[in-house]
Amino acid sequence: MKAIVIGAGLGGLLSAARLSKAGYQVDVFERLPITGGRFTNLSYKGFQLSSGAFHILPHGPSGPLAQFLKEVGADVKIVRSDLTTVRVPLKKGSLDYAKGFKDISFSDFSTLLSHKDRLKIALLIVSTRKNHPTGSSLQAWIKTQFKDEWLVKFADSFCGWALSMRSDEVPVEEIFEIIENMYRFGGPGIPIGGCKGVIDALESVITANGGEIHTKTEVSKILLENGKAAGVLIGEEAYKADLVISNLGHVATACLCREALAVEKDSEYLKKLETLKPSAGIKICLSADEPLVGHSGVLLTPYARRVNGIDEVTHVDPKLAPPGKHLTMSHQYVAPENVKNLEAEIELGLQDLKEIFPDKKYEVLLIQSYHDNWPVNRAASGTDPGNETPIPGLYVVGDGAKGRGGIEVEGLTLGVASTMKKVLG
Amino acid sequence: MKINDNCVGCGQCVSFCKKGAIEVKGKARATDACVDCGICVLYCPVKAIEVSA
Repeated sequence: MKAIVIGAGLGGLLSAARLSKAGYQVDVFERLPITGGRFTNLSYKGFQLSSGAFHILPHGPSGPLAQFLKEVGADVKIVRSDLTTVRVPLKKGSLDYAKGFKDISFSDFSTLLSHKDRLKIALLIVSTRKNHPTGSSLQAWIKTQFKDEWLVKFADSFCGWALSMRSDEVPVEEIFEIIENMYRFGGPGIPIGGCKGVIDALESVITANGGEIHTKTEVSKILLENGKAAGVLIGEEAYKADLVISNLGHVATACLCREALAVEKDSEYLKKLETLKPSAGIKICLSADEPLVGHSGVLLTPYARRVNGIDEVTHVDPKLAPPGKHLTMSHQYVAPENVKNLEAEIELGLQDLKEIFPDKKYEVLLIQSYHDNWPVNRAASGTDPGNETPIPGLYVVGDGAKGRGGIEVEGLTLGVASTMKKVLG
Repeated sequence: MKINDNCVGCGQCVSFCKKGAIEVKGKARATDACVDCGICVLYCPVKAIEVSA
């Protein structure tokens, strides 16, 4: 059996590794000269920056991605982060960090609430595990339960960091599925070598199983035979396959087989694709001699104007920076209406960092923004349309086809795993 | 070198530019150090860079 994978991003390579292990003859076609998509390293001034992701796996060494890597035999060491902290103003009632701040543990977020609300949270933690709330946004749900603005700020910073969404955009079902996964798989971890550590390990598996990865090779069309995916067109040449996996997201994939999808029975699928909104975000990469965050986990910053959270991966893998330096990266959600004002959004982020690290010395290495055709996620979490297409034998994987309740690459992996189950049984 | 509206500001070109000739802030911009070598064109994920022949 032959399989063709379009796109050598994380979703494409995970699929190729699994299929090649199952005995498929796999060819991966990638338009760029590099593999890894938005999940690889970019060397810059001696640092290993990234093409997108934050060198961190949301559920660390026991999450869906780590498990998948183990199953296909990809050798990656993933180190669990020591803690997740939340920066809050020193004085209750302050609206920013200007008059001092303290860091509390992520799990202690409820200590900032009144006694009554703390009791209510404790009860809700038990009751919602059995009966997940449904039918509204996370923020709307919080507001039906609590009046305290802190919880909305906290939810916004978590959703901003983890999903690049605001809490009034995230379906409450998705968040409770994520919470369930946090119980199930634990907190974040860092792969040694950063994102590229994962990509390199997957490529070794693929080539060891006889698969081939072709870079600088652009697929121009998905070919069909009797209504079923049968290969791809590259330049003038047709490459046949029994199975085609696209890592390009649903919209770009549909563009590669537009004629085949123009029939009436597919109109519902095409209509669904029109509603898909990619999520946008800004990453600011900092270099510092002394640690800024001070631990290997995430620092959430709910009282900043724009920055949602920051990580400092060099505590786990010092080789991601030149000797004696730290690599610190902040993420901020960008609202759809602000995508056209990216420079102003970046300025707000830079000001935030000055207030979050008031007495620290650091250098801004690179500011990277992601939206539209090169976004944070091709489908905002909770809106992913699944992995199937109307064309038999053609599946979509990647961050435009995540599984439920999976943050970023964990959701991507859940999508790949469910696709592989459909294909391989 | 011309950068079109496809550019999202991801900075991938900056890291592959051998001349340190690209700045990015929401969108990429070539500086005077650019020699039109065209390497960045290959690495742009959204086909946003055009080099004049």
